[in-house]
Amino acid sequence: MTPSALANLIDALRVLPGVGPKSAARMAYHLLQRDRSGAARLAQAMGMALEKLRPCERCNSYSETPVCDLCASPKRDPRLLCVVEMPVDMNRMEETHAYPGLYFVLMGRLSPLDGLGPREIGLERLLKRARDGVTEEIILATNFTVEGEATAHYIGERLKAQGLKVSRIARGLPAGGELEHVDAMTVAQAYMDRRPA
Amino acid sequence: MADKVDNEVAFILHTRPWRESSLIVEAFTRHRGRISLVARGARRPMSSLKSRLLAFQPLLLSWFGKGAVRTLHDSEWQGGRLWLKGEALMCGFYLNELLLKLLPAEDPHEVLFDHYAGALETLGAGSEPEPVLRRFELALLSELGYAHTLDRTEQGQPVDPGERYGFVPDRGVVSPGHGSTVLGKTLLDMMAGDFDDPCTLVECKQLMRGLINHYLQDRPLLTRQLLIELQGIEPMNL
Repeated sequence: MTPSALANLIDALRVLPGVGPKSAARMAYHLLQRDRSGAARLAQAMGMALEKLRPCERCNSYSETPVCDLCASPKRDPRLLCVVEMPVDMNRMEETHAYPGLYFVLMGRLSPLDGLGPREIGLERLLKRARDGVTEEIILATNFTVEGEATAHYIGERLKAQGLKVSRIARGLPAGGELEHVDAMTVAQAYMDRRPA
Repeated sequence: MADKVDNEVAFILHTRPWRESSLIVEAFTRHRGRISLVARGARRPMSSLKSRLLAFQPLLLSWFGKGAVRTLHDSEWQGGRLWLKGEALMCGFYLNELLLKLLPAEDPHEVLFDHYAGALETLGAGSEPEPVLRRFELALLSELGYAHTLDRTEQGQPVDPGERYGFVPDRGVVSPGHGSTVLGKTLLDMMAGDFDDPCTLVECKQLMRGLINHYLQDRPLLTRQLLIELQGIEPMNL
């Protein structure tokens, strides 16, 4: 019979996405038999993260302080606010070193067919955040999926109604892209989103 | 023997994550109606399939297998269609939600499919969305077998454009005082698909809302709620 502490651990590991009973059991035995120090580190890191990380009051991403380092940085341009779906999207934007402004992370997207509406994303917080009197332009950088587009439209309309300038990131050919090797849908979008040269 | 279907004309209605890296795809196909397919590995970063599973785009889908384990193996974009943007996109979601909630799976509806394709085309071209939605709702109910006679009362009397009538789901036009109240002209305009009169649009919307709620058995339509919220935005006094 499985001891209850072990059964508990296996059951707890199943909270991870894509982990079923078999994988959970494999992980539990691995941690207990082969990597007890790793298991202790995992337990400690999990406890710390849960205890210390809270949504940043400004950008809604995870932070150990009420306002995260990026939002508190005097080097960032507070007139620009970039709206992204997830923290990974913000990280990718940061990797570009091209964007000088601040962020707001929705922690999701509008997906009417999944029952995810404005209340499920941090919309009210964003509207309040954008009214700080300093923000001049909001850059909508949600994904180019149908849900990301719907999210951008909905947020954009709400922000425009508040008298703010709203822009949407461009889509089309990738950097260094050649028409010949790009899929037809992307080429069509690039044509439709063309700009005066 | 396993089914194998190649290049079936289809639209994606919805996709949702399945297991670690796959997607369940709800598609509306021209010849096989609404079906569910599994797109294996479509959520892996290098998969090119996911970007070809966009809703509101005319696609040619190929799959194999049968029953609950049909596997989508290719999707080819047919090109040409206008993209849905803004309010038209929200209306597109509404059409998809209606199909997902009202259309039984595995039931071919070619006429409705053509209506749907036409509605997307019209929405994409920037037409006023309301008449498009009303025509689609009427086509949907009629295809599902819920068509009502609009030009005659339950007793067989011709509808008079100047009179007011009652309307009850599954019975149709009745004497006033039952169900929702509607002007005879609205009923005749709806039958003719003529939505030029703003009064017809308003009355038709109320009538269709009641009818659709009836057939949804009061399951809420989330896209309708979003559309109402969006239309209700007013500039704030700052």
